[in-house]
Amino acid sequence: MRSRTARGFVTLALVAAAFGSVEAQDPRIGNRLDAPTRKALTALVDSAKAQGIPVEPLMEKVYQGLAMGADGARIVMAVRSLTVEMANAQRELGTVATTDELKAAASAVHAGVPPVELGKMKKQSGLRRSLTLPFTVLADIVSRGVPVQTAVNAIRSLVGAGARDRDISEFQRNVQVDVEKGAPPAAAAETRAKGAVTTTPAARPEKREQE
Amino acid sequence: MADWGRTTLELLVQELQAPVRLDESFDRRVMVRVRRLYAERRPRGVAGWIAAAVSVTRRPAYAAALAAGVVAVVTVGMFRSRPQVAAGGAPIPVQFVLVAPEASSVAVVGDFNNWGLGDTALVAENHNGVWSVSAPVPAGVHRYAFLVNGKQWVADPTAPRAAGDDFGQPSSALVVEASVE
Repeated sequence: MRSRTARGFVTLALVAAAFGSVEAQDPRIGNRLDAPTRKALTALVDSAKAQGIPVEPLMEKVYQGLAMGADGARIVMAVRSLTVEMANAQRELGTVATTDELKAAASAVHAGVPPVELGKMKKQSGLRRSLTLPFTVLADIVSRGVPVQTAVNAIRSLVGAGARDRDISEFQRNVQVDVEKGAPPAAAAETRAKGAVTTTPAARPEKREQE
Repeated sequence: MADWGRTTLELLVQELQAPVRLDESFDRRVMVRVRRLYAERRPRGVAGWIAAAVSVTRRPAYAAALAAGVVAVVTVGMFRSRPQVAAGGAPIPVQFVLVAPEASSVAVVGDFNNWGLGDTALVAENHNGVWSVSAPVPAGVHRYAFLVNGKQWVADPTAPRAAGDDFGQPSSALVVEASVE
């Protein structure tokens, strides 16, 4: 609880410093953002806070935009897009979703995964299973050309079979290598998912009993 | 808003309905704790002697209620503490590697170092074209990229792609698991 509280204060300080009064500017931002941009970002952050959306990822997007040389309008557009994606994800995942899950879910939404599918996965996996990595891999394989429903089915089958994060990471690497070698993305995902499911603890009851 | 509440409620109900497996020593450990708490809180002097005479061991319902309370506190604690662990675990060393024989400089920037603002970029060392740098990264999911020669953005070819509005530049995703204490 202490770390969460401390992190909250740090976040609030960063937001206040970044978008607050001129004298309290974040040195990392300095004068790089003009007044209209700061005003627009402040409004977005306030809106996000009102919706219960974590603002840290929004700050990170601002830093990324500045580092990549984007202008103010472009940064506002990216932050607005991220806010909408996180709000859509949170609507389906519920308030139990962690900040990391929301960040990963927003990536999946951006890649084209319907938020409702993410909500189904969360319900399927329960509270204890973090879906940060599965959502991250989902976004990755969709961006590599795996059809959305194929990708969703693959990740759901892995999560449902009790695959650990390391199993899902290995699945992602295999699909990536297959696609880079010229395999059709859908075939790569389906084939690798079938193989990965057979190695999960749920598919090997005799080993689970031994453990 | 109603959807959020319903989803959360469904997940909580699902979690609470799941069978709780307790190891064989659980009863013994609970009773040891109960006796210890009782001993610590027992008043001293005459009043303590009178209170001690009314031993809690004669009222098993108290013990059962306390045991249920312990289970409830542990259960709620799991719900509350888990996101904290995921959100803010101790930083874990991560090695970033990029093969770029033609590069004259490579840096790593991302969510974990505020994208290099304020001179926080991780400068990689060159080992015959294999550039690498290790740094502690907090638990969580991070977006990052290599900055080659101070101007070219390159995604990590060995990492998942990060989907999102990345200002037209490639970036990668890194998930650092919280360390188990």
